[in-house]
Amino acid sequence: MAEPVIQLEQITFAWPGRATLLDIDSFTLQAGERVFLKGPSGSGKTTLLGLLGGVQLPASGRIRLLGEDLAGMSGSARDRFRADHTGYIFQMFNLLPYLSVVENITLPCHFSSRRQQRASQRHGSVQAAALHLLAHLGLDQPALHKQPVTELSIGQQQRVAAARALIGSPELIIADEPTSALDADTREVFLQLLFSECEALGSSLLFVSHDAALEPLFDRSLSLRELNRAVVNPEVI
Amino acid sequence: MYLFPLALRSLLNRRFSALLTVLAIALSVTLLLGVEKIRNEARASFAGTISGTDLIVGPRTGSVQLLLYSVFRIGNATSNMRWDSYQKIAEHPRVDWAIPISLGDSHRGFKVMGTTDDYFTHFRHGRDRQLLFAEGRAFDDLYDAVIGADIARELGYQLGSELVLAHGTGAVSFVEHADKPFQVSGILAKTGTPVDRTIHISLQGMEALHVDWQQGMPARGAARVDAEQARSLDLTPTTITAMLLGLDSRVATFAVQRDINRFPSEPLMAVLPGVALQELWSLLGVAEQALFIVSVFVVLTGLVGMLTAILASLNERRREMAILRSVGARPRHVFGLLLLEAAGLALAGILLGLGLMYLTVWLAQPVILSRYGLFIPITAPGLWDWSLLGAILLAAIIMGCVPAWRAYRQSLIDGLSIRT
Repeated sequence: MAEPVIQLEQITFAWPGRATLLDIDSFTLQAGERVFLKGPSGSGKTTLLGLLGGVQLPASGRIRLLGEDLAGMSGSARDRFRADHTGYIFQMFNLLPYLSVVENITLPCHFSSRRQQRASQRHGSVQAAALHLLAHLGLDQPALHKQPVTELSIGQQQRVAAARALIGSPELIIADEPTSALDADTREVFLQLLFSECEALGSSLLFVSHDAALEPLFDRSLSLRELNRAVVNPEVI
Repeated sequence: MYLFPLALRSLLNRRFSALLTVLAIALSVTLLLGVEKIRNEARASFAGTISGTDLIVGPRTGSVQLLLYSVFRIGNATSNMRWDSYQKIAEHPRVDWAIPISLGDSHRGFKVMGTTDDYFTHFRHGRDRQLLFAEGRAFDDLYDAVIGADIARELGYQLGSELVLAHGTGAVSFVEHADKPFQVSGILAKTGTPVDRTIHISLQGMEALHVDWQQGMPARGAARVDAEQARSLDLTPTTITAMLLGLDSRVATFAVQRDINRFPSEPLMAVLPGVALQELWSLLGVAEQALFIVSVFVVLTGLVGMLTAILASLNERRREMAILRSVGARPRHVFGLLLLEAAGLALAGILLGLGLMYLTVWLAQPVILSRYGLFIPITAPGLWDWSLLGAILLAAIIMGCVPAWRAYRQSLIDGLSIRT
């Protein structure tokens, strides 16, 4: 059995001089797993994602990603680790408006040689990898690729963002409310595409959302409110 | 690295404000380089007011003062030198040529200078440039005058125009030599030196004007000598104001200077025009340096404008930075991106400024030449220009560290969370 992708043990986090924001006893995400994390605002979601990205370090406890302890790494090593192993999809306006569709997708490969190698190994080049992902996500009309990304529909933009998170097959995809700006139909289609690509690439998916309707589609579902033992006053965040 | 095209694309995305920033820097660079060019040419032109003359000789006074009235026609001589001293010095074995200069009269504010034909053959300005006649020729008749280019243009004189000289050097004179009018026999080409504003007449003509004067006043009644009567008189002057000397070799300069400074029959002095010019320039140099300092500050203003533009854009670009961070850009990439942006803006500004400066010089060249007699050549930027441009770029990069550092801090705090 491969190392768990995410392993949290007795994590606490607080900004200096403030009350504890996050207190998680244990959380594990296995390789290939698709986990739904229900996290309404004020549940410590932003903080948790910051910790998983290695942007912040916990006050106590251990975070292991792919078996490696983040606390043992320097700031830039954590940055590199994130670039190599994690793909992100955010709520909306994920794309750089001044880059083309394909340039947006290949962006992570410029900051991670590991993902560049993996992408070009499988498809010959990062461009080919981007086009392959676009085709799989139903965006294979060449006319779309020439359009400024700001002229794509929100659903199309989110699929481009998904392709960007998936390129170079990182072990972990973190999706933070990626569907909240989509209507119900597009939402289902988007999720199905995301799932099948994660499966094809062997990536695990941590899906954070407050939309309980999506819960049944996942392998497992957790509520951050229950996971986080710290009493959080939403107004503080 | 990928940062360079990324910075470029990001700038192009904000092309309007980027263009304004580049334009502000470009204009300030144009100003700085233009001022530098004019400064250099003005200095060269100033130093070229007189050339080829080895010594200026006159009665004992300050060297700058002697230069001022003999070459620049500014101020008046306090005393004169005797004609026989002139003759003795002209016969010095090392002297190749000697030109007498006699000042004191004027015409509508322009100085009148009495001299000989030799002036037009031996006087040099700029880089060994001779005086050229645009029209006409040197004096032929006693009452011939050769006028400079500015006088011809400003007073509208042509060959054959008649002019009445005035005694003294004020713009308005009450004592005129109305009885002996002069005729324009030649108009000199533009030189960009005080020659353009001088009326040249022969020494004899100068003498004829004053031949009947007694105690600084024109004679009255029967003592008057009219223009035709004067022709038959001996018009050898008794005094002149100063003289220009050319020697047979540069090496002799100091020996001849020493001989003149010890001249036995009257107190005289000889100055090296180059040295006196330098002395004078060091007085005028303050204005020139002030101009340079002002243009340096204009460049700084341009750079501060750039700094403001980048800093102001930072807040609305937090999303851009967060996206970059989420795709794996490290804080130092964010830092580098903004530094590249500052350097790119400055570089574009410098190149555009350089182009604008050459365009301006090219367009203004004929106007400046005909108006001020200053020829501004189009030459490749010199070492000094390059180091100025390098300093501007360096300053831009140093200033660019400020927004880069802020974005760096911001991206550390914001992390991956996108704030709107």
